[in-house]
Amino acid sequence: MSEIMKYDVVVVGAGIAGPIVARNVAKEGYSVLLIDKKSAIGAPKQCAEGINISVFEKHDIPYDKRFINREIYGARLYSPSGYTLEMRYNKVSGVILERKVFDKMLAFYAARAGADVLPRTEATDVIREEGKIIGIKAKKEGEPIEIRADILVAADGVESTIARKAGINTYAPPHEFDSAYEYEMLIEGFDPDLIHLWFGNNVAPRGYVWVFPKDEDRANVGIGINSDNPMTAKHYLDKWLKENNIPFKKILEVNVGIIPVGGFLKELVKDNVLVVGDAARQVNPMHGGGMAEAMEAGTIASKWIVEALKEENFGLLKNYTTEWWEKDGKRLERVLRVRKVVEHLTDEDLDVFIQTLSGIDAEKIAGGRYSEVIKALLKHPKVLMSPRRIALLKELL
Amino acid sequence: MTEKIRIIVEEDKCYLCGGCAGVCPSLAIKVSSSKWEFFQDKCISCRICVTACPVGALEAEVVEGKS
Repeated sequence: MSEIMKYDVVVVGAGIAGPIVARNVAKEGYSVLLIDKKSAIGAPKQCAEGINISVFEKHDIPYDKRFINREIYGARLYSPSGYTLEMRYNKVSGVILERKVFDKMLAFYAARAGADVLPRTEATDVIREEGKIIGIKAKKEGEPIEIRADILVAADGVESTIARKAGINTYAPPHEFDSAYEYEMLIEGFDPDLIHLWFGNNVAPRGYVWVFPKDEDRANVGIGINSDNPMTAKHYLDKWLKENNIPFKKILEVNVGIIPVGGFLKELVKDNVLVVGDAARQVNPMHGGGMAEAMEAGTIASKWIVEALKEENFGLLKNYTTEWWEKDGKRLERVLRVRKVVEHLTDEDLDVFIQTLSGIDAEKIAGGRYSEVIKALLKHPKVLMSPRRIALLKELL
Repeated sequence: MTEKIRIIVEEDKCYLCGGCAGVCPSLAIKVSSSKWEFFQDKCISCRICVTACPVGALEAEVVEGKS
């Protein structure tokens, strides 16, 4: 007979979304258990670690230097032939985190708010009773346990095991994933106050190469490519480093992962099971970042979990689906539409667009006034002469 | 007869990142914190996992049908 634990809510996965849900629900006085299969929460990272500065205040996360490696002031984009576009702000726009510390601290905030937290505890299946899901089966340091809970939160990343075992179809076609590979390594010659992104069909098909500085001479150097590409992400990153004569023999970490970059989960809730974060494919399909999206989803999910528990009405959980689609889903669908246009750009397109954009007011781009940016592009002679480029850009308007 | 495959992992290359399990349409791969597992009965021979692996740690071996 395995040990039986009982909670109001069990959260599977202590990445970004899971601990946010656990913290917010525990804060309202409900019993919460947060589990993670890893022995050390946050390690190994599967992330370039860049995040917008606004999330700290928005999601009530302390701006703690223990998990902030470096403050960033903008970005520089590189086209295949070497045209660059720089967006530099006069104040900090983002930070490069230390996920190992950040994720652990998020779990710490959850624990301090009242949640129980168990690493090295892996969910293996859901438990059903008379057709209803009443908890999960797990292995805690190898010992089988049963966790009974009124509400299950699947925050278990791209594998999405618990959601799928609960009968939620999280399938997406292979083209809607990115394969990613990254070195944390010593690197010199790139402005450490900016993140750097390289585009090109031979550089990183569908994606980009990134340098995210964690120090003046240390950065996450990685790549994301379409996961249905016959070559590996590693192949493309090593090729890029060699072609650019960047030595890569001072490597501190190798990071690997798959990122869901399109086709967000439609039904985020089934009965008493909620799916959040990468498991629900809540990722920005343009740049592949998912931390801010996970925080947003976690915040909305926790709000409705608290309501459902307060009112003893699990029907309220469905409001998480509605509110997420209303708030973030709609925005991300628009971003996905842009990505689907951008992924058909040729290298020459990228050159023309980045060259043109570098000439116009970067503040417009930085300020997100995209329609003005596209209008500027539409005036460029090399665009005017190409009906295909005009069609692509009009698609974006 | 349609081809049936078995997925093999090269353990020394694999980072246990879980990506293959994520892209698998049929839950035929399970990645725990310490091991990679393949479930033949669930595999639909689509090879999506083989192509998606960021480091090329997976290989398909034909077990039935044309080779």
